[in-house]
Amino acid sequence: MVGATGRVTGRVGAGLVGEVMVHVPQRQGTEAFLAYPAVPGETLEPGSQVVVVEYQPPRTVYVAPL
Amino acid sequence: MVIGIAGAVVASIIVLIVLFKLMWRVAEPNEALIISGSKHGEGLGFRTVTGRGTLVLPGIQVVRRLSLDLNEAELDVECVTKQGIPVHVKGVVIFKVGDDPVSIANAARRFLDQQKAMGQRVHNVFAGHLRSIVGGLTVEDMIRDRERMTGETRAASGSEMEKLGLIIDSLQIQEILDPTGYIENLAAPHAAAVHRDARIAAAEADRAATEAEQEAAARKAEATRNSGIQQAGYQAELDTAAARAQQAGPLAQAASRQEVVVQETKVAELEAHHREQQLQADVRKPADARAYETRTKAVADRDARISAAEALARETELKTAAEANRVKVAATAEAEATRARGLASAEATRATGEAEAAAAEARGLAQAEAARALGLAEAEAIKARAAALAENQEAVVAQQLAENWPQIVKAGAEAFGNVEHMVLLNGADGMADMFAKALTMGGTGLGLARQLLATMGADGAKAEPSATGKPPVPQVIPVQQEQARS
Repeated sequence: MVGATGRVTGRVGAGLVGEVMVHVPQRQGTEAFLAYPAVPGETLEPGSQVVVVEYQPPRTVYVAPL
Repeated sequence: MVIGIAGAVVASIIVLIVLFKLMWRVAEPNEALIISGSKHGEGLGFRTVTGRGTLVLPGIQVVRRLSLDLNEAELDVECVTKQGIPVHVKGVVIFKVGDDPVSIANAARRFLDQQKAMGQRVHNVFAGHLRSIVGGLTVEDMIRDRERMTGETRAASGSEMEKLGLIIDSLQIQEILDPTGYIENLAAPHAAAVHRDARIAAAEADRAATEAEQEAAARKAEATRNSGIQQAGYQAELDTAAARAQQAGPLAQAASRQEVVVQETKVAELEAHHREQQLQADVRKPADARAYETRTKAVADRDARISAAEALARETELKTAAEANRVKVAATAEAEATRARGLASAEATRATGEAEAAAAEARGLAQAEAARALGLAEAEAIKARAAALAENQEAVVAQQLAENWPQIVKAGAEAFGNVEHMVLLNGADGMADMFAKALTMGGTGLGLARQLLATMGADGAKAEPSATGKPPVPQVIPVQQEQARS
């Protein structure tokens, strides 16, 4: 999961649980994950490209802007 | 026997197939197999299989199927907004079980026997969060920023859905119902303004359309008029063309005649031009040639004269220079000769001068001596005369007069010496009279002399120096020295 790229579908920011859609090769599909900003205080608007820097199973990722 | 053996083999194969069919379980793409009843290495107490087949030991292991299909939960929540206004929020949540083993395991533990009630559980979760969120919003916020409400709802429920092993595929707030009519009243001013604007726009459009129609009609009339004018113009052209066609014959004749006249005029002009050219060739060109010849000759003559004069001037100049040179040489020689002669002459003159000077010196010395002697004698004489005058002036004066009578008479005669032409009106008597007067003048002089002597006698020796008659010695200016100095 770490290193995979995805797209923000729900605003990621401080005090929010955002949502990103990330392709998962092992399951051959694109899935939604709960997302938090990798840099505290950063805000990522819907539609922006992100990269997964940390993965906490089962559905939580920390993302940074690509 | 053989048949029996073959039948047994087939039967055993069939039994094996049936047994394999009973033991082999395949997971459909939209489901997960939850196999429990045996040991496994995942630490979950059961095994999950997705997308493939697996052997299951009947009687030992139990296979349950968990659907991974989409599920839908209708949201229908009574909420109260921040302003205390009750609203009715309707929406829909599309969710499914997560595809990863952890989510499948979580969902299996929670919903394996209650898969039908999954929607109700999710509804309850979302209803609670939605009420909480709507309570912090105003109606205007809900209407204008529905995305915010959706995002906050998703964020609030995300963690709980993760625990349930579910994924929210979609969350839509479909409808916000307002039983109190607040939203309608909120929209009323805007609706009225929109209605007003619509009426204004319709009126404006109607006016524009009417203007356009009227303008189109005006243009149509203008086009009709222009068309009529053009048609009249074309008709006039047609009439003109017809008239011209009728007059084509006479016009052609006139044109031909005009052409003839033009050609004749051109011929006349050409002839005149030709004559002019001929005159140019016959008269003017020869005259020009002669004039040119004359002018050229005159220029050549002038140049020749100028050259001759310049040569003559040059010759004269050379001659003059030669003559001057010759005169200069001659003058130099003459000067040299003159200088030699002058030197010789000066030498001779110097010798002569020296001789003359010696002679003059001797002569001067002799004369000086003579003059000295004479002076001494005169001084003696004067002294004697003075002594005599002291004794008897009259006698001395008479003697002096007697001694000098001839000079006196001569002086009286000199009065007539300058008379060139004398006329005596009285004859011989006149002559005698005039001489007597002249002599009387001498006698008068005698009287005067006596008077003078008397005066001198009174003065004594004062008159003596002047009686010597010596003039003052003039000063000699050394002219030669001045000249030599200059």
